[in-house]
Amino acid sequence: MDRDCCLRVFACEQNLLSRPDGSASFLQGDTSVLAGIYGPAEVKVSKEIFDKATLEVILKPKIGLPAVQEKNQEQIIRNTCEAVVLATLHPRTSITIVLQVVSDAGSLLACCLNAACMGLLDAGLPMKSLFCGVTCALDSERGIILDPTDKQEKESRALLTFAIDSLEKKVLMITSRGSYSIEELQQCIATSQKAADKLFQFYRDSVSRKYSKS
Amino acid sequence: MREPPLSNCEKSFLLKAIQEGKRLDGRETYDYRNVKISFGTDYGCCIVELGKTRVLGQVSCELVPPKINRPTEGIIFFNLELSPMASPAFELGRQSELLVKLNRLLERCLRNSKCIDTESLCVIAGEKVWQVRVDLHLLNHEGNIIDAASIAAIVALSHFRRHDVSIQGNEVTVYTPEEREPVPLSIHHMPICVSFAFFQQGTYLLVDPSEREERVLDGLLVIAMNKHREICTIQSSGGIMLLKEQVLRCSKIAGVKVTEITELIQKALENDKNVRKEGGKCGFVESMPKQWITAFKVEKALVDMSDVEEKAEEILSRAETPAEMASKPVLWAPGTAQIGEGLESSWRDMEEEGEVEDEDDEGGIDDPTLAVSQNIDMEDIPRKQEKNSDDVIILSDSEEDEVIILEPEESRKNTRSKHYAVPSAKKATGGKKKKKKFTL
Amino acid sequence: MQIVHVLGLSVYIMLQMAVRAEQRVGQPVLPGDVLLMPLQEGEQEEEENSALLALRVPSQTRLRMTCGPGLRQRGGSVLVTRSGILCHRIPVLYWVDSQQKRYVPVKGDHVIGIVTAKSGDVFKVDVGGSEQASLSYLAFEGATKRNRPNVQVGDLVYGQFVVANKDMEPELVCIDSCGRAVGMGVFGHEGLLFKVSLGLVRKLLAPQGEIIQELGKIYPFEIVIGMNGRIWVKAKTTQQTLIVANILEACEHMTAEQRKQVFAKFSDNMM
Repeated sequence: MDRDCCLRVFACEQNLLSRPDGSASFLQGDTSVLAGIYGPAEVKVSKEIFDKATLEVILKPKIGLPAVQEKNQEQIIRNTCEAVVLATLHPRTSITIVLQVVSDAGSLLACCLNAACMGLLDAGLPMKSLFCGVTCALDSERGIILDPTDKQEKESRALLTFAIDSLEKKVLMITSRGSYSIEELQQCIATSQKAADKLFQFYRDSVSRKYSKS
Repeated sequence: MREPPLSNCEKSFLLKAIQEGKRLDGRETYDYRNVKISFGTDYGCCIVELGKTRVLGQVSCELVPPKINRPTEGIIFFNLELSPMASPAFELGRQSELLVKLNRLLERCLRNSKCIDTESLCVIAGEKVWQVRVDLHLLNHEGNIIDAASIAAIVALSHFRRHDVSIQGNEVTVYTPEEREPVPLSIHHMPICVSFAFFQQGTYLLVDPSEREERVLDGLLVIAMNKHREICTIQSSGGIMLLKEQVLRCSKIAGVKVTEITELIQKALENDKNVRKEGGKCGFVESMPKQWITAFKVEKALVDMSDVEEKAEEILSRAETPAEMASKPVLWAPGTAQIGEGLESSWRDMEEEGEVEDEDDEGGIDDPTLAVSQNIDMEDIPRKQEKNSDDVIILSDSEEDEVIILEPEESRKNTRSKHYAVPSAKKATGGKKKKKKFTL
Repeated sequence: MQIVHVLGLSVYIMLQMAVRAEQRVGQPVLPGDVLLMPLQEGEQEEEENSALLALRVPSQTRLRMTCGPGLRQRGGSVLVTRSGILCHRIPVLYWVDSQQKRYVPVKGDHVIGIVTAKSGDVFKVDVGGSEQASLSYLAFEGATKRNRPNVQVGDLVYGQFVVANKDMEPELVCIDSCGRAVGMGVFGHEGLLFKVSLGLVRKLLAPQGEIIQELGKIYPFEIVIGMNGRIWVKAKTTQQTLIVANILEACEHMTAEQRKQVFAKFSDNMM
C-alpha cells in the first residue's frame, strides 16, 4: 500500500539533565520536546491531596508566554498521565512534569506525551502501564497520514491525537479538530494502535540500552 | 519545591579547596567549562551547554509600529525564563529578584551595547519596524546562568534569518522563505559575559563558578566584552570591595575567554551554514550523542496499515446503533426550550415524591428556567417555589446539616422558598458555598 | 479467521507479553509488563517428569512470589510498575532495580541527613525525600533531657529510619534498639558530601561489591554512604578527597570491566 503510513525518525535521550529527578528529550522528525520531572517531591500545602500525589504538568512554549492552547494541552497531558501513574503510592507529594517545546514541526502533542512518558520512566515513578501519543491527519485525497509534519497538519481536513496505553492498547485520550466519520475514527484508532506497537518497542529498546551497563 | 540545603561540611570543604586552588570538577582557577553549541532546524534556534548548565534560545520577529520617540529604530526584546525544570527552587511565573537581575544584565549586555543595528530593522520610518524577540529558557541550572544565557542570545541572534521585505510606496510585501532567501540581522559585534566569583572578601577568585560555588561566594563580577576587548557592561554584586588591580586582571582574563568563545561560536555558525548549504541533515537529532547509552535513535518505521479498514469495520459492525434521539424541541415558556425526554431527579426525598411527580419532565431544565424566570407570568411562581424547595435540599445536605436538624421540617421549607423566590439569591448562596469549599 | 484474530487481539497481546518471572530475571522490564508467577522448583520437576511420576499430588505445590519494589500483584499475575532490571533472590523474592535519583524513605534504611531546623524537642532533617524527617534530640547515644547533643543547623547526621511509610512523617534515630550509636550520629566536620543516583549507592553497598575495597587500595579514606544517594568522603588531603569523589561519581556509567581498567591505570600512575 502506498500510503503515508510511516512514522518519522524518532530518537530519545534520557537522563540528560542533572537537576531534575528524571529527564528525557524526545524527537520525532524535526519536532522535539524536552521533559524534566520532579517527584515524589515536597508539595505546597494548598495543593496537597491526602490520599494521592498531586500531578502537575507545565508546558512551556518556545516563543512567548503560555497561552490558552498550552493550558489546554497541559490539562490533556495531565489527565493522560493521571490515568497511568500510580499516584496513591505517594500521598501528600507532588509529581511535576515540565515540558519544554524545543522545536515544533508537527505532531507536537504526541511528542509531548512521548517525552512525558520517557521522563516518567527515567524518574522511576510507579506506573500501571506505559503510554504513547500518536497523531493522525486525515487528508481529503490520501486518507490517513500518520505522524504528520506541520505542513501536512495545515493541509489536513481533520487532525486526531490519541494516547494509547501499553497494557491492552486501549485509548487513554482523544483530542481532535476538524470533521471525520465514525469509520475514519475507527481506522485512525486502529492505525495508532499499530504505531503504538512500534513506539513501545522503541521505549523498550531505549530502556534496555540505558540499563545495558548495570 | 525547595532547594536541597547546603550542609556546613560542603561549605567548609568548598572554601578550603578554593584556598588550595582546587575545584570540585577538577578545573583550575581560571578554567572555563566546556561550551557546546547545537542548532535546531529553524533559524534562530540553539541550545548552549556550559558544562551541565543548559540554555535554549529562540529568536522570532514580527512587524510592529515603532516607539514614538525612536521612529526609525527596530525593537529588540529579551526574555530570559528560569524554567521550573532547571531547579526545584524555581517557580513558574514568579519574578524573582535573580530573574529581574539577570534580565536587566542581558539587556545591558546586548541591547545597550548596540551590538545589533536597530536602524536596519526599520521598514517604513514611523510606521513599521521589525520587533525582534529573543526568548531564552534555562533548562538546567548548574551555575553561571548569565554567561550561558548571553552566549545563547548572541548565537541565536547571529543564526537568525528574518523574512525579506520589499516596499513599493506604502505597500509592504513580506516574502516567504520559498520566495526569497531570508536575510540575517546585521550584527556589529558579539558581547559575551564572563563571570568571576570572589571568596573570602576578594582574596580568592574563580572563573565560571558552578552552582555549589555560587552558593558560597561573597561577590560576583560580570564583565561583558567583545573580541575587540571592548567592555560592554561591567557589574559587581554582593557588596565586596574590589581593588583596581583585581578588576583589571579580571578584564584581561575576560578578554582571553571571550576570544576563545567567539571563535567557537563562529566555527559553529560556519559549520551549520555549510551543512545547510549542502542540504545535509541538521537539527538536534544530529547533535545527539549517539554512542551514549542514554541516547537511542531509530530510522523511519513503517507501519503496516493493510488490515486497518477491515478492523475498523469489524468494530463498527459490533457496535450497537445509537438510539434515535428525540430532536424536536419543546417550548415551555418564552426563551425556554427543552430537547429530549429530560431526566428524573435522583436527588428528591422519598416523602416529597408525590408533589414532584407531575413536574418530572421539567426536572431536566430546572436551571434554565431559573435563569430566565424574571419574565415569567405570576401564576408560575408558586410552582417554582415548590420546585426550588427541592433544590434547597440538594444544597443543604453538604454543609448546613445542623440547620436542618434544629429547624422543623415545615418552617425550613418555607424560609428557603422565600429565599429562592428571587433568583439572584440562589446565585449568592451558590457563591458562598463555593467560597467555603475553597477555604477548606 | 480474521474475526477471531480481531476479537482475540487483546487476549493475544496479554498472553504474548506475559512471561514467567524467572525467565526475565536480569533483563530490563518496563511498567505494564505482565509476569506470570514463577513455577516452584518442585513443580518444574513435576512438569518435566509428569509422565513418569503420575502419582504425585499436584495441589500441594502452589505458585508463590514475594513482590519487592516495582512489582504489584494483579490477579494471578504480577504487574511491573517501574522500569529497571528484574532481580531475584531465592526462594521467591523478586524486585526491580532501577536507576532513580529521588529517594523515598524506607523503614530501616541508613541515610545521611542535613539538619535544617531545630524545633522544640526535635530536629528537622532533610533526607532528600518529599518531606523532612524528624529526629528527636533523645535519639542520640547518651542523650538525656539535661544532656542534649550538640547539633547545629547544617550539620550532617547519619541515622536510621524507625518510622517511614507513605502516610506518616518519617522519623530518624541515631541509636539502635539497645541505645548504642553503632556508627550513627553527627559527623563530617570536614570532608566532602556529594550526591549520586540511588542505583549507584546500592551497587556500592552490595555485599559482593568490590568498588570500595579497590578504591581503598589506592588511597586510605573514610566514607559514609547513605541509602538516599548521599555519599560523604574524607581522605588525607583535599586533592585525594576530590579524586575519590570523582571516581565514585564516574562509576555510575561504567561496567565492571571498565572499572577495573580505570583502577589499574590509577594504581600504575601512583607507583
